[in-house]
Amino acid sequence: MTIRSDEAAAMLADVETVVARVKQSRIYCSAALCIILWGVVDLVRDILIAVGPRWFGPRWFLIDLIGVAGTLALLRNGASPVSRFPFRILAAFALFYAFGWIWSDLLGQFGPREEMAFWPTLFLFGYALAGLWFGAAFSVIGLGLTALILIGYFWSGEAFILWQAFVTGFGFMLCGLWMRRA
Amino acid sequence: MEGPDDVIHQPVRLRVMAALTALAPDEEGLDFARLKSLTGATDGNLGAHLDHLARAGYVEVTKAFVARRPRTTVKASPQGRAAFARHVAFLKAIIAGT
Repeated sequence: MTIRSDEAAAMLADVETVVARVKQSRIYCSAALCIILWGVVDLVRDILIAVGPRWFGPRWFLIDLIGVAGTLALLRNGASPVSRFPFRILAAFALFYAFGWIWSDLLGQFGPREEMAFWPTLFLFGYALAGLWFGAAFSVIGLGLTALILIGYFWSGEAFILWQAFVTGFGFMLCGLWMRRA
Repeated sequence: MEGPDDVIHQPVRLRVMAALTALAPDEEGLDFARLKSLTGATDGNLGAHLDHLARAGYVEVTKAFVARRPRTTVKASPQGRAAFARHVAFLKAIIAGT
């Protein structure tokens, strides 16, 4: 069997393409579980805030802690398990929450509606950025859900909290399921 | 220089081995649906190529039931990994002109 140099190059390029797709699909698979988890967390949180705004409104962060803990656990046991505790992920969460608090509470003093729009879009901005390195699906999720949140912020009136529950709750869950198949 | 591996040289089988060896040896392997998506093969076509690779001892095919649904998982054998590495080295040598 004789193989020309250009044929060999094409075969190696094929191999590289497949390897890159395998690596990306493993990232997507790991991320998908985390995204589905956050869909459940967001749905529960927003429903609790809707039914008990006085108690759950100021304490939404406690519910988010469940999401953070769950994310770290999933990364340890997921499709691409990390061998050490994911300190950088924990640090990333801490930085996002710190940055968010500085702007929403300290400098901006956002009202409830602004807070409800700001926090998920802050994290979705992270998704949009992550897509530049880890795959376009992250950017699609980040930008798509941000657009839906903004639509709800301006046009959903009093139903904004339920709109949020639907968009970030079911939206994340559907996006996670889509990403598992990507 | 060793020649090409006649088993791996076929395009679909080359892609299968590329996908399977992209995973670490201790990882579970890839399921049939994922391999089909990665290789662009049809069900029958992929099945035939997996049989060919299994007969050569290059892959291990495991069939099980997960939530009452059949699931086929394929993993590269140590022999398959070595054969794929030799084949890739052969292709690189052609490009290098050696």
